[in-house]
Amino acid sequence: MKLEPFTRRAMSTSRESCHRWAKQLLAAEASVPAENHPTVHEAARVCEKLRVSLTRFVGPDGFAALMRRSLALARTQTPLLNGLETTADGRLEHMEELVASGEEGILAATAVNAQLLELLVAFVGESLTIRLVREVWPEAQLETDHED
Amino acid sequence: MSKGRADRPDRVSIRQLNTGVPGLDEILGGGLPEYSFNIIAGGPGCGKTTLAHQFIFANATRERPALYFTVLGEPAVKMLRYQQQYTFFEPSKLDGVIRFINLSQLVLEKDLGAVLDEIVTEVEAADAGIVVVDSFRTVVRRAQAMTTEMELQGFVQRLALHLTSWQTTSFLIGEYAESELRDNPVFTVADGLIWLYQSAERNSIVRKMQIMKMRGQESVPGMHTFRITDAGLHTFPRTYGLAEDVGHVKGTRRISTGIPKLDELIGGGIPEGDSFLLAGPSGAGKSVMASQFVAEGLRHGEPGVIAVFEELPGEYVRRAAKLGFDFEAPQASGALKIIYIRPLDLSVDETVHELITAVKKMDAKRVVIDSLVGFEMALAPDFRHEFRESLYRMITALTRLGVTVVNTVEIEENFTSMALSNFAISFLADDIVRLRYVSINGQLRKMLLVIKMRGSSHSIDMWEFEVTEKGVVIGKPLRGYRALTSGLPEPWSLESGQERPGLRDTFHSPKARGDPDE
Repeated sequence: MKLEPFTRRAMSTSRESCHRWAKQLLAAEASVPAENHPTVHEAARVCEKLRVSLTRFVGPDGFAALMRRSLALARTQTPLLNGLETTADGRLEHMEELVASGEEGILAATAVNAQLLELLVAFVGESLTIRLVREVWPEAQLETDHED
Repeated sequence: MSKGRADRPDRVSIRQLNTGVPGLDEILGGGLPEYSFNIIAGGPGCGKTTLAHQFIFANATRERPALYFTVLGEPAVKMLRYQQQYTFFEPSKLDGVIRFINLSQLVLEKDLGAVLDEIVTEVEAADAGIVVVDSFRTVVRRAQAMTTEMELQGFVQRLALHLTSWQTTSFLIGEYAESELRDNPVFTVADGLIWLYQSAERNSIVRKMQIMKMRGQESVPGMHTFRITDAGLHTFPRTYGLAEDVGHVKGTRRISTGIPKLDELIGGGIPEGDSFLLAGPSGAGKSVMASQFVAEGLRHGEPGVIAVFEELPGEYVRRAAKLGFDFEAPQASGALKIIYIRPLDLSVDETVHELITAVKKMDAKRVVIDSLVGFEMALAPDFRHEFRESLYRMITALTRLGVTVVNTVEIEENFTSMALSNFAISFLADDIVRLRYVSINGQLRKMLLVIKMRGSSHSIDMWEFEVTEKGVVIGKPLRGYRALTSGLPEPWSLESGQERPGLRDTFHSPKARGDPDE
């Protein structure tokens, strides 16, 4: 498959899927009993659970690099994310304030999660990304474009 | 491999980038993998920087620019001064699409962590799609004085991590020695390793390239020659651009040599798609016969390509004209191409590349290589060692295209034996006709003998022939002599009890093609 000279391509085959997955993970996390996460919004929990799981796979530096790229890409679509910063291990500083700010903040946080998934798809493919996600959310119904 | 991936939706499809270097995509197995972390290694002056520039000029865009970090090597000003001489260099791209950043001061004054931070900061700020560090060897050499091997490995690993995660395709350029391959961590981390070589031998410069590593795809193994012209690097893959060509299936058609009697002797003409060897001493008529072969094709609307090594194309055309063949008009109309390849520093692959390009472009049916001896002489000395193997690949490539190839080879004649060639290359030819001088009745006369026609019958007589102003004219079989093949025949003696001539079949029975004996 030949690639045209670089453009900011939409990863069109998986972008919609990744956004759908991010929303599905949000819903899955919302259904977790609140006593386990009394104060943290589910959007932030999805982000943190992805970090913990993926760090085992790519290491803290690797996850931090992926998160920096994801945040940079998501910011181009969602300026609200400009207030977030990545730490050395890839955590997102000020995430809790973002999701606490209301619906737009939750959408912005979900956009970061979707972007992270999209980046994973770009590197390791849909199938392997789904396997990695299902390690955290085994019941998640993540449909691919091919299954649609 | 890349094709296979496209058919497997459950696996990630790795896009392949056009390198901008003719032939290199084929060598790499389709192009350079997107987001790969690569090393371009080799000695000074072998084309590393030019290769990187060709890639960035072919791929960088305003949205995903290329960052070219220079480190204590060739200053950016000098680099730009020289690189802009190449035709691929587009000055307009320096307006933000390709940016040069000097890291020399940082490398001299700070540690590897600071170098990494600076690269990452610049890459993120520019949203770079391509990163080149030239020379990375300098960064490492400087660091080695200040850090442990583990720290160095960690630096390389983190650099690769950041550049790949940022979705950049990156190149580290360095003047490495092959002895460093085992211990240098950069080679372990790299996804791709392109090694360039340059050597001088007896006034000739030979440039070769090897893909020592290319993760995720099947590159073409071995050394590939390349040339640096005003258009930059031009590589000549060992696969000759035929990697995806399934090959031409031979038909059963016979094509005329342009010499009716010779057609008769070889069983009706040359089987289409064969490699036909005309072997003989200087002046025996090989080139004349080759010209007749091409002229006959042109008469039947079959385009031809002639590769000449021993004389200039103009001479070749003039000599053909004396025989009554017009090679001027067909050249003008595109039906004939005479390739004269500048001698002394050729590689076989470069020559074959030129031949195959011409054959494909013209849909040529007939090719003449006149002569293999001249061809060998035109090669750089370094390539002569592998001439036989190279010829094998050349003939295979040409016949895969379905063309019929007539090769001439000059033989240093002696009068004790009859060699078929000086290269032990007769196995490359499907068909062999041997010309030689024979001394008869105080005259040096010319004799022709069909040695082999793979899978078909042919004459077993030895025929006298002449080179006339109309070309080669075959006369009668030389009967009544023994030891003709030695060149010093004697009349048969009936008293000796030897079998008299004319008592056996004059045609050799064919064996099936593919018979080991053939």
